[in-house]
Amino acid sequence: MTHQTHAYHMVNPSPWPLTGALSAFLLTSGMIMWFHFYYTTLLTAGLLASTMTMFQWWRDIVREGTYQGHHTSPVQKGLRYGMILFIISEVFFFAGFFWAFYHSSLAPTPQTGGHWPPTGIFPLNPMEVPLLNTAVLLASGVTITWAHHSLMEANRKESAQALSMTIALGIYFTYLQMSEYSETSFTISDGIYGSTFFMATGFHGLHVIIGTTFLTTCYFRQQLYHFTSSHHFGFEAAAWYWHFVDVVWLFLYISIYWWGS
Amino acid sequence: MYYKFSGFTQKLAGAWASEAYSPQGLKPVVPTEAPPIIFATPTKLTSDSTVYDYAGKNRVPELQKFFQKADGVPIYLKRGLPDQMLYRTTMALTVGGTIYCLIALYMAAQPKK
Repeated sequence: MTHQTHAYHMVNPSPWPLTGALSAFLLTSGMIMWFHFYYTTLLTAGLLASTMTMFQWWRDIVREGTYQGHHTSPVQKGLRYGMILFIISEVFFFAGFFWAFYHSSLAPTPQTGGHWPPTGIFPLNPMEVPLLNTAVLLASGVTITWAHHSLMEANRKESAQALSMTIALGIYFTYLQMSEYSETSFTISDGIYGSTFFMATGFHGLHVIIGTTFLTTCYFRQQLYHFTSSHHFGFEAAAWYWHFVDVVWLFLYISIYWWGS
Repeated sequence: MYYKFSGFTQKLAGAWASEAYSPQGLKPVVPTEAPPIIFATPTKLTSDSTVYDYAGKNRVPELQKFFQKADGVPIYLKRGLPDQMLYRTTMALTVGGTIYCLIALYMAAQPKK
């Protein structure tokens, strides 16, 4: 390695921004072709290309951080700021869906019967599976904190156990949401209730799946000794993201499932 | 067998080696009792004791050495053939897919009259 007199990470040229941009083009155009012509080849190619780009880009970041030591304290600070800004952007993403929900539910139009939920809509009972889902996500918030403290105390066994419990709770949540979706009497396309419901809870579900994938990556990295008790930002970022997903669910539960029913 | 002091029951309880060395709620501090003189107890080799190694050995140091070699190879190809195959497949898929996509979009923009 060449001698470096500063603590910053000067990144080298990488093909992944280019393949990522082209994959995004394939993904969006593929969706258009799917929506309009039921043609799925382009969408499949886009999903495959973006998955491959994500895998290799993050693999390279692990190489640069864990194996090459580029993630010094100032670099970690930058990563922290990046993750915070990303989560803030996610907050606004969900704020849009909550805006649509409250816009439609606080002043219901005569077309929906002048009340909320609209006439003919039978919402899910918030005291049944949605309440269990709330408990599952809150419990996963506890287990991830347990995993973090075990990691900070260099307790490999317990951090692996707690992390796998968090992942299991994430998978259980996704399973429960899938079974809830098959129980609904409304759909995304038959009115404003279904549209706002599935848009908000669907994107939340996608974020749970992404968070579970992030945590699973952390599990394997922990098994491969990538994390030390003082340097494990990958794990912390996953934990922040998981807490964010958890908080979004609490708002969804209170607004859409409970108040909205 | 290892023991740890349980802060809950205020008794000694059985524990794993890792817990005995750093019990929960207690940071390892300077021992208050004087340790036995080194040669007063029979020497025990570290390889004799059971190590709770259930996840394979730590390969990070050797991988650090490998990835820090100054061979001029960019990070995304540093591992050789597997990296190169994955890189070429991704490039072929994205560039090929984009060309195909542009053709498909052009055709979709010209509907049959």
